[in-house]
Amino acid sequence: MEAELFIIRYLHVLSGIMWIGILWYFNFVQIPSMPKIPDDQKPAISKVIAPEALFWFRWGAFFTVFFGLALAFRSGYMMDALMLREPNIGIGMWLGIIMAINVWFVIWPAQKIALGIVDADAALKPAMGRRAMLFSRTNTMLSIPMLASMISVQNPIM
Amino acid sequence: MAKILEDLKLTVIAGVVLTVIMIFATNAIYDSQMSAPEKAATDMMNNM
Repeated sequence: MEAELFIIRYLHVLSGIMWIGILWYFNFVQIPSMPKIPDDQKPAISKVIAPEALFWFRWGAFFTVFFGLALAFRSGYMMDALMLREPNIGIGMWLGIIMAINVWFVIWPAQKIALGIVDADAALKPAMGRRAMLFSRTNTMLSIPMLASMISVQNPIM
Repeated sequence: MAKILEDLKLTVIAGVVLTVIMIFATNAIYDSQMSAPEKAATDMMNNM
């Protein structure tokens, strides 16, 4: 049981670093750098780097939540956390779930249109790019309390 | 809200503010779930 929980927790943290690492790369590096990149070099980002990063980003989000819920279930606190009877971890779990929903149901569909991965009306691209950026920023904002909630389980603040 | 999210620094500040709110909210939820004897014992420990 201890080894199983260790492996699940390890996979949860590995996936989480993949997810939040790429989220922060998008928001702290890629988005602010785009205006400084010459137009003829922009396709290197939009056609090569961003689609590859989005692959690891969305699957990182999926497996972070998957292993997080598996860890909570196997440890026996999943329902208490989700019902906020254990608010320390429960608030973090809900923030993580909301963020993963943003990734799969808002950011990824919008990015597919904005980056031209799927066929769509060209006029839609700027609006979809802005939608993806705003939801990505929302996730960046939520990642700060989410991570605080996760570590407060080990080190309660109050 | 979009104005805050368009600015990376304001986004980070909003995240920190949300973190502080979350810490107090977590504490309030714990307090609301405590029975009277548990709360009295916790208050006594905090005042020691």
